[in-house]
Amino acid sequence: MNRVSAHCRSRQKRPMISKEEMQTPPSSALRPFISMGEWGLPILSEMGAMFLFFLHAVSLIFSSITQFPKAVRQTYFIGVKSISVIALIGLFTGMVMGMQLYFALSLFGADGFLGSGVALSMVRELAPVLTAIMITGRAGSAMTAEIGVMRISEQIDALEIMGINPMAYLVSPKMTACVISFPILTCFFNLIAMFGGWLTGVKMLGANEGVYFYRVQQSLGFEDIYGGFLKSLVFAVVVCTVSCYNGYFTHLRKDGVGPEGVSQATTHAVVMCCVLILVSDFIMTSLLW
Amino acid sequence: MSGSKLDVVLKDLSIGYNGIPVVSDINVTLPAGKISVILGGSGCGKSTLLKHMLKLHPVLAGEIRIGGKNILELNRHAWACLKLRLGLLFQDGALLGSLPLGDNVALPLKEHTRLDKKTIQDMAVAKLALVGLANYTHLYPNQLSGGMRKRAGLARAMVMDPDILFCDEPTSGLDPINSVELDHLLLELKDRFNITIVVVSHDLASMRAIADHVVMLGDGRVLFDGSMQDLEKTTDPYLRRFLDRIAEERTSPRLKALPLDPSMLKLNCAKYMASYGERE
Ligand SMILES: Nc1ncnc2c1ncn2[C@@H]1O[C@H](COP(=O)(O)OP(=O)(O)O)[C@@H](O)[C@H]1O
Ligand SMILES: [Mg+2]
Repeated sequence: MNRVSAHCRSRQKRPMISKEEMQTPPSSALRPFISMGEWGLPILSEMGAMFLFFLHAVSLIFSSITQFPKAVRQTYFIGVKSISVIALIGLFTGMVMGMQLYFALSLFGADGFLGSGVALSMVRELAPVLTAIMITGRAGSAMTAEIGVMRISEQIDALEIMGINPMAYLVSPKMTACVISFPILTCFFNLIAMFGGWLTGVKMLGANEGVYFYRVQQSLGFEDIYGGFLKSLVFAVVVCTVSCYNGYFTHLRKDGVGPEGVSQATTHAVVMCCVLILVSDFIMTSLLW
Repeated sequence: MSGSKLDVVLKDLSIGYNGIPVVSDINVTLPAGKISVILGGSGCGKSTLLKHMLKLHPVLAGEIRIGGKNILELNRHAWACLKLRLGLLFQDGALLGSLPLGDNVALPLKEHTRLDKKTIQDMAVAKLALVGLANYTHLYPNQLSGGMRKRAGLARAMVMDPDILFCDEPTSGLDPINSVELDHLLLELKDRFNITIVVVSHDLASMRAIADHVVMLGDGRVLFDGSMQDLEKTTDPYLRRFLDRIAEERTSPRLKALPLDPSMLKLNCAKYMASYGERE
């Protein structure tokens, strides 16, 4: 009796996979999948965490009336203060496009289409992407650093104790500001760039002015404008979420603590924003047109 | 002061970071309407205890009861309501670096009340005046000394008129005059408004002036828990050493344990600065 129960117990305790089996290295056929998992799963889980972070921030946008002045202040910082740099980038991008397209198109005697070329490439691709990348550099990195410093100096804990939700206080107004500023700045970029294209194409190289503006107007359809607008909205969400997320969880980073953690978080956020902007741009372009 | 008095009861509490305990098995009651002082050597977990008591870090085990409610089991709304009745002064103030002092202190009022701007401003200045900083409302935290930041942090902790005030080393970094005034302020708050005050400190003079109840931490546990009178009568050698500030012998054990020759402690720098010497 005793022996039987002891036997049963030992059988129950035996793990499904024996220790030796667990310690043997996996067969080489599995190795690529294992390394893929090791590489991919953390990225996937980080993306998931960021998505939840985004939902949390959005849910707090209208949490209180005091959110409004904060959103205005952030819009000033993220949007208004970026105008000059966006104008500069837009102007030169447009001027380069005007020149290059004029040379290329005039090879085929098609320089009448200069307006279409500049307008379509700007509205569909370059304006949303370049605007987003410029704002990442100007405001995204600043958001990460600001929130990261607040994290490591216990200011976020202080907000928490004062009963002020740090997500609502810090992240949500930035989200509002990004969603407002990105499309407007993109639109502004478009206008300046078309002006730049006119400057080089028409004034410098001598394309016909009337044809240029006729083509700009005629080639732009609603879906181009709508697509560019949608892109800028998505980029706004991506830039704000990634920047704020990296700052907010600076203290959990494995690759640096304290000030070094903040610098790592900022670098990581900027690189990740740029990559995600281009990847999501590709995905949206292939889905939209 | 509206609300009733709140006490803090810690039951079988273990606290620490990443699963590694810093202080374990804390069974302590911090009485309502009294000043409790948490004593202990530097690095023994006083700040850790304070932060865990307010759920800034997850506790390892045990219960924290504030006003009879286990705060670890409160739902989000109840905890948010209770939080408004608590004030915490962080060890280094933790003021928001991007706001001037006046706005820092006014922030909780702005976020939680519908008072008009003028009233909020006046209340913030009144609280800053209590800690002697009424003339500094326009300065940013990085333009203040450590002691001033600490006092401003106290003003911010008090601005919502909390029922429990937690202070992490309020008098460290302050000159004797300011620290005596701060002691008086805490006593005044207790006497007039009946609020519960928990002070982390290793300032013995301040402790003797204000403490009703003392908790001493050390060795990763609670070494003493009782009234001030009991503490003064204690015969425990470590506590006596702490209270009487006696170093065991004239050369402290740390100096003896040093592997170096004591003469090495005072390096003769000139010896290593040959190039400077030769230039003359
Ligand atoms: N964020 C943290 N992560 C890990 N360990 C910490 C952290 N903060 C403090 N500690 C450790 O906890 C112990 C107590 O620290 P603390 O509570 O700050 O001491 P004090 O009693 O001087 O306020 C120290 O040994 C410290 O190293
Ligand atoms: Mg401390």
